[in-house]
Amino acid sequence: MAEETRLIEQLIDRYEGDVGMLIPMMQDIQAEHGYLPASDLRSLSKRLEVPLSRIYAVATFYTSFRLAPKGAHDVTLCMGTVCYLKGSPDILEAICREFQVEPGGTTTDRLFSFQAVNCVGACAVAPVMLVDGKYYESVTPASALEILNGLYPDEDASEKEDEA
Amino acid sequence: MPTVTIDGCKVRVKKNATVLDAAKKAGIWIPTLCYHPAVSCDASCRICMVELERGDWRQLVTACNYPVREDIVVYVSSERAQQARRGVMELLLARAPESEELKALAERMGVKETHYPKVTESQRNCILCGLCVRVCEEIIGQSAIGFAGRGVDRTVAAPFRQPSDDCIGCGACAVVCPVGTIKLRIHKDQQEVEISPFKSRAKLLLCRQCGAPVVSVQVSEQVMGKVGLDCEEFRERVRLCPKCRKLQSAAQLASAPIRKKQ
Amino acid sequence: MTKLCGKRLNNHEELELVREDLLKHRNSGTKSVCVCVGPGCAAKGANRLYELFCEAVRQSDSKVKVEAKSVGCHGLCECGPIILIQPGDIFYQRVEEPDVAEIFRETVLSDRIVERLLHEDPSTGEKARSPDEIPFYKAQNRIALAYNGLIDPANIEDYIAAGGYTALPKALTTMTSEEIIAEVELAGLRGRGGGGFPTARKWRSCRESDGSPKYVICNGDEGDPGAFMDRAIMEGNPHSVIEGMVIGAYAIGSSQGYIYVRNEYPLSVERLKEAIEQARQWGFLGEDILGSSFSFNIRINRGGGAFVCGESTALMASLEGRTGEPRAKYVHTVESGFRGKPTNLNNVETWTNIPPIINRGGEWFAGIGTEKSKGTKVFSLVGNVVNTGLVEVPMGITLRRIIDEIGGGVRDGKRFKAVQTGGPSGGCIPSEHLDARVDFDELTKLGSMMGSGGMIVMDEGTCMVRVARYFTEFLQKESCGKCTPCREGLAQMLHILNRITRGEGDVGDIEELGVLAELLEGTALCALGKTAANPVLSTIRYFRDEYDAHILDRHCPAKECRGLFRYEIDAEACKACGICLKNCPEDAITGEKEVPHVINQEKCTLCGICWEKCPFTAVLKV
Repeated sequence: MAEETRLIEQLIDRYEGDVGMLIPMMQDIQAEHGYLPASDLRSLSKRLEVPLSRIYAVATFYTSFRLAPKGAHDVTLCMGTVCYLKGSPDILEAICREFQVEPGGTTTDRLFSFQAVNCVGACAVAPVMLVDGKYYESVTPASALEILNGLYPDEDASEKEDEA
Repeated sequence: MPTVTIDGCKVRVKKNATVLDAAKKAGIWIPTLCYHPAVSCDASCRICMVELERGDWRQLVTACNYPVREDIVVYVSSERAQQARRGVMELLLARAPESEELKALAERMGVKETHYPKVTESQRNCILCGLCVRVCEEIIGQSAIGFAGRGVDRTVAAPFRQPSDDCIGCGACAVVCPVGTIKLRIHKDQQEVEISPFKSRAKLLLCRQCGAPVVSVQVSEQVMGKVGLDCEEFRERVRLCPKCRKLQSAAQLASAPIRKKQ
Repeated sequence: MTKLCGKRLNNHEELELVREDLLKHRNSGTKSVCVCVGPGCAAKGANRLYELFCEAVRQSDSKVKVEAKSVGCHGLCECGPIILIQPGDIFYQRVEEPDVAEIFRETVLSDRIVERLLHEDPSTGEKARSPDEIPFYKAQNRIALAYNGLIDPANIEDYIAAGGYTALPKALTTMTSEEIIAEVELAGLRGRGGGGFPTARKWRSCRESDGSPKYVICNGDEGDPGAFMDRAIMEGNPHSVIEGMVIGAYAIGSSQGYIYVRNEYPLSVERLKEAIEQARQWGFLGEDILGSSFSFNIRINRGGGAFVCGESTALMASLEGRTGEPRAKYVHTVESGFRGKPTNLNNVETWTNIPPIINRGGEWFAGIGTEKSKGTKVFSLVGNVVNTGLVEVPMGITLRRIIDEIGGGVRDGKRFKAVQTGGPSGGCIPSEHLDARVDFDELTKLGSMMGSGGMIVMDEGTCMVRVARYFTEFLQKESCGKCTPCREGLAQMLHILNRITRGEGDVGDIEELGVLAELLEGTALCALGKTAANPVLSTIRYFRDEYDAHILDRHCPAKECRGLFRYEIDAEACKACGICLKNCPEDAITGEKEVPHVINQEKCTLCGICWEKCPFTAVLKV
């Protein structure tokens, strides 16, 4: 509790309590937490004496604001016709089962946010999965899980050790 | 005072009065949805479009907020103005097909039906006129609800789409809603009034005499605060429903001594 | 370096002493390696090149004095990363990390040219040594982009040495507000953000409005997809924007300015912040600027991610900490704008043009361009064109000259089909109008508009219906949702366009689109809604046959809309290698060795794998 009031106080200070700077204040909150926690927005509302409904309106109007924590990585699975025909439903099922996540959601450990979309336009190498914008082609349930498991930080650390 | 010649009828209005004011003065009807004299005007519904003449060209403007600053000529019944209003109404009917109030207004405007399919989601026929939001902010002062989202996903909602802590259950939003989207639901057993579809609830004051729900507790307290009468008799009367209040008044009058003229 | 450097300048004389001193220092034989780190070059690794050059400078034990500078977008993004070496204006393109050592050793230290890094004209094979020998640059007239590529945007001294902050003292100490506005009026400057409103008229109205304080705003919310002119200016020459704003604020009588930068441009925000801080330190911002008794401060705000915030009233709402919803403009913002006070808003490029106009006079500016559109315009020339990048040309130049002479024509030997200008509020112009002279009114007459400067070249493989659908979807996503016609009307238009591109169009769809377009234009609340139908209207106007083909024949002539064209194997070109057959997920291809393969149209799901895989280009889109 004290943590968030401290951040809010800093913001009030930084922007001299100017309500016109509401958006930069919210951007700073999001920079701190990776998203806009409801509790921070409530505190901001009280402190700035701005109705919570207005802060919520602003938070949901601008696309850069997130009200839920995003995963560390962005994973997109293509469900276009060709990928579909080549087995992406099985891949989808495997990912959902392994990571306990639904399309549109984020894993509980916030490793990645998951989306299933309708054709990313790489049909020649279907099935296609994207991780942080990088294309992975001819993916199978097994290879998809391997790629995603490789996103865990300790994996990265051991990779770095190998390079050094 | 500038003159507005509206569909041939000349009326004079105060400077910065609106074209809608002039129309009212001239007895000419212009349909409105998001306009209400009690709150600010943002001309979002676009149903009140009229044609304005400017020298040798004409433009469509919204009547509810166009400020009259000099002599102007306005056409409400021109083909172009009517077409514009009807087009807007057809879009609204497509969005909110089940609102009886909207259909009634459409009829009055000469719009029997819409040829557009329903392509946007609306919460229970909400047309996003914003009257509920503005009433709650400007008149009630609670700002319990506001707009959320953007574009076709725009909705009216309480913060985080949870029942609002700021709602006092006054029902002003339901009163002002022009399409019957907002409704009050009385939950007798919980002694609560719910504002649907926001799910906000407020405790109800029950009649001390007969137990019928009177008004939300917070509203009665606010009224008490505003009226500033702090006597026991007043406080007692507020806790009665209108029927019991009348009975009590009648009983008091019946038993009151007749004052002789001195 | 004079002792005044870094200290607040109190008057014009002190500034000139510093400038003299800076020039003396710079003319003392120092070589400069200018590494472009604009958006295009940065994406190709230019920042690393800059680091390498800095390292080379540090480690050099040569007597030759060298400095490495990172500079803003020079324009020919297609050929990036770009390096310019001064003196001599030597232009190297497509520079890679291994080239750094050679450039440093040969050109910088020994004045020898590295031939293979010079720009080569694709048709003549001629190599160019400097930009003025390159056709891309020859036809340009660089006023707004004059300092891009020459100065380090993070160093105010570069700007001053190049002649910056000359207009500011001239305006503040020798001109009255009315004289400044008169000069801008004589120049005929019109807003460069898309509206094209006469700048001097706006300034004068704001100046004459009752109310105080007055505000001055710079619109850096460049939202049109495909446009990055303002970004190049904010990141390549931020001081020019500041200088323009100070002069404008002085003319209008404002002491507080804002620069609103879209959220997606964090580097622009950084550059501007640095520049503002430096300007403040030096005394070009703050109290009593250069002893003129005029005070002015600038604050930067970032957007939250909303295209509609490029609209002036939506921008002001955003600056007030609200959702970016536009409002009616029956009462203009110069009368009642930000916080209900008289506000003057101009685009980045408009502000950048102010210092040159003050320095060289309105008459000079008015000597460039057409009768009603004076001066130059920066365009982002992108799409299916050989030389993609930023170009600045005089108003009145033809589309053909921009696309062919400067742009180098359509790439990959394809045929020109259309050029899209004005972003989502604009339209597509076909080849029959390539000789149209580019200016505000001409483009509007053709069913498009100048807009902020995006110019997207499209070749024969582009489906114009799909283009219209793309822009309509974009606008639907970005609509604020406040007014009925834009919110509901765009959704209806998109619904129709989706049907058409899926092969489910109906006779009457085009008329319906026309009805919706007229409704939007007449009843929408703001310019986003009012101009939203332009992409659809202009493509119907010039490419009606494509719409008809989609609706009546269920066929996409450009072969882009999936399901609306077929794949067929050219029996003559087919070598029967069997690759398509093996890869077809539907087993729809039959054939044997030495027998041309055939696609069974009944089984074909139009996935396109055969077309992708065929090594002999024997699979045709039909």
